[in-house]
Amino acid sequence: MVDAIHQFVPSFVPRDAIGTHTRALRALLHDMGIESDLYVGETREAARGETRPYLSYAGARSGPRTWLLYQLSTGSKMAEYLLARPEPKLVDYHNITPPSFFFPWEAHVGVELDHGRQQIPLLSGCTDLAFADSAYNEDELIEVGFPKTVVAPIFVDYESFDQGVDTRLLNSLLSAKRGAHWLFVGRVAPNKCQHEVVKAFAAYRSLYDAEARLTLVGGSSSHAYKTAIEQYVEALGLEGAVTLTGNIGQQALAAHFQAADVFVCLSEHEGFCVPLLEAMHNRLPVVAYDATAVPETLGDGGLLLTDKSPVNVAAVVHRVVSDASVRDALVGAGQERLAFFSTERVRERWVDALKSLG
Amino acid sequence: MSPTDGRGAASDATGGTSHAPAIDHQKLLAEIDAEVQRKRESGDIPADLERELDLVFARFAPVDALEADFEQVLTRAEQATFIDVIAPVESSRPVVPIFKKVVRKVVGWYLRYVAQQTSAFAHAITRAVRLLGERVDVLEQASPVAAQRAAADGDVQPPSAPDLSHWAPTLARWLQATTGRVLHAEAGDGALLAALVEAGVDAYGVDPRPRPNVVNEVREDEAAVHLRALPDGALAAIVLSGCVDRMALGAQLQLADLVATKVAPGGTVIVLGTHPAAWAESHAPVHVDLSPGRPLHPETWQHLLAQRGMTESEIVAGPPDRAALAPVPKGDRVLNANIERLNALLFGPSSYALAAHRPE
Repeated sequence: MVDAIHQFVPSFVPRDAIGTHTRALRALLHDMGIESDLYVGETREAARGETRPYLSYAGARSGPRTWLLYQLSTGSKMAEYLLARPEPKLVDYHNITPPSFFFPWEAHVGVELDHGRQQIPLLSGCTDLAFADSAYNEDELIEVGFPKTVVAPIFVDYESFDQGVDTRLLNSLLSAKRGAHWLFVGRVAPNKCQHEVVKAFAAYRSLYDAEARLTLVGGSSSHAYKTAIEQYVEALGLEGAVTLTGNIGQQALAAHFQAADVFVCLSEHEGFCVPLLEAMHNRLPVVAYDATAVPETLGDGGLLLTDKSPVNVAAVVHRVVSDASVRDALVGAGQERLAFFSTERVRERWVDALKSLG
Repeated sequence: MSPTDGRGAASDATGGTSHAPAIDHQKLLAEIDAEVQRKRESGDIPADLERELDLVFARFAPVDALEADFEQVLTRAEQATFIDVIAPVESSRPVVPIFKKVVRKVVGWYLRYVAQQTSAFAHAITRAVRLLGERVDVLEQASPVAAQRAAADGDVQPPSAPDLSHWAPTLARWLQATTGRVLHAEAGDGALLAALVEAGVDAYGVDPRPRPNVVNEVREDEAAVHLRALPDGALAAIVLSGCVDRMALGAQLQLADLVATKVAPGGTVIVLGTHPAAWAESHAPVHVDLSPGRPLHPETWQHLLAQRGMTESEIVAGPPDRAALAPVPKGDRVLNANIERLNALLFGPSSYALAAHRPE
């Protein structure tokens, strides 16, 4: 019997992918009768009520069978703190972007990521069980020596899309619509390759649809990369056609999903890629490049490209948005794929994984 | 049909899209690919469209984000030696452009003075680097580095991995008491690996060349790169093949260092190598001449591993796979003894397996 599994999160943002997952996991643990508090490094003011500073963790007051679960997605001093703790440890690995993507753009971010990646093998020696969002992430854990691993997908907050949409924004997007509307959601970062999406979109405008629009939703992880994207858009004369929204709220995100015709992901590195599932949930056909964990998450729920040359991507998107039978088949396939990652299925997989703790 | 129309019409027609007939993704993508090819050939897709898109992005990206070679990097550096002192003055606020123009005019003389010196310095540096590059080119052409580069181009890679499956019983015997992960580098198509897994060994493999028909446990990676990424003592055993036959001597020594540290105490290092004499005979002349390295004798690997603390080594000769000279029936004893000596000299086993152990 497990008394408590306390979660440790280096940077807690309640509504981002890991924040959502952490909260859903805490709810599941409570449902299973397992005590679970959130201990965090940094957080926003609004989340202070549901979290505690990790340095205030005072030990196994919850009972002798207490585990500490580290949400591993970045380098952090928290990892060193946990390494020194006597309690048995669990790790939930969401992947850390390889630093090579960032070194040319933001060297200091590259150094941080490198530090984070160096911490992963250190954790392997003191971790009883490591959870991984995907088999891709699990392979990385096995490769650095984690003795016991299990794939347990990330919880995705589908319900928030059904709780409301920014109708004003949606109406404005729909009324401005003259051609196909491309969408990608993800932090503006070199590994996400938004510049490749812009390239393919420029080819699409040139070859198929001069009225098309592209929206890139997401905050930025690299000012230099984001600036280059903006300059690129301007140099291609696409200022009116490409929008970088920055961080936006859930209802605005729902509006962008509803206004779009196709979700295009050309990312080179993903540990899971939650937005693929969000697109499927919003009945958007998905076109994605075959890299890292993307094929595993996408399954047959979208078109998987092995060639992301701009002309090829443009041709595929053209077929998806102009052929109703293809679009409908992809949306249907997305719905079927989504069932595999439904909240109920993910809960079941987590319950099974947690049972192995005894 | 516009995209928006298509979306609405399809949904109405099917009463919801989740029951739409499934499509064959591979077939659809192949169709689209063929259509793109046709358009490229017919000129419907401008030949330089993608190149233009790449060149425009290259203006804003750091040079090391673009997988540029030496020449491209140097060209970018030379372009960057020009310093534009005419700063843009546009602004969305009404009075700011006038203010910016005034500032530009006031400090213009000073910026030009500094910019001229900075440009001159940068130009001199890039010129020196270009001259240095030319001299390095000359040196490369006169040194074995050229052969390494030729090999790296892939022109002289053996077309297929050697069949190692006959080593399965020997390796199963050496690895039967092993508990923990076993790495096979390079695993080729994974045939030996599959045999090891079937024998109960917890093995996986790496191979640098993408191959269409490999077993699932083979990942695409270089042996040395993969080993460097592992913590010390992470593996219960390491099996080396392929790379050991063609690496340059320096790389072989580094590989010996790596395996000796990455194998756990009590673990085993196995080398499946080709005899140097047989290697020269069994490969195409171009491969032999341009290969950056040569296979080592089993005794040399034994020596190298022993120097790195590995003990209890054992060498097993591979099966004879080349036609030897037949003895003369009822022939002269001396003649047949000489034929035997010639066979040993010319047609000995072409491969070997060596196992060495890291002490507990």
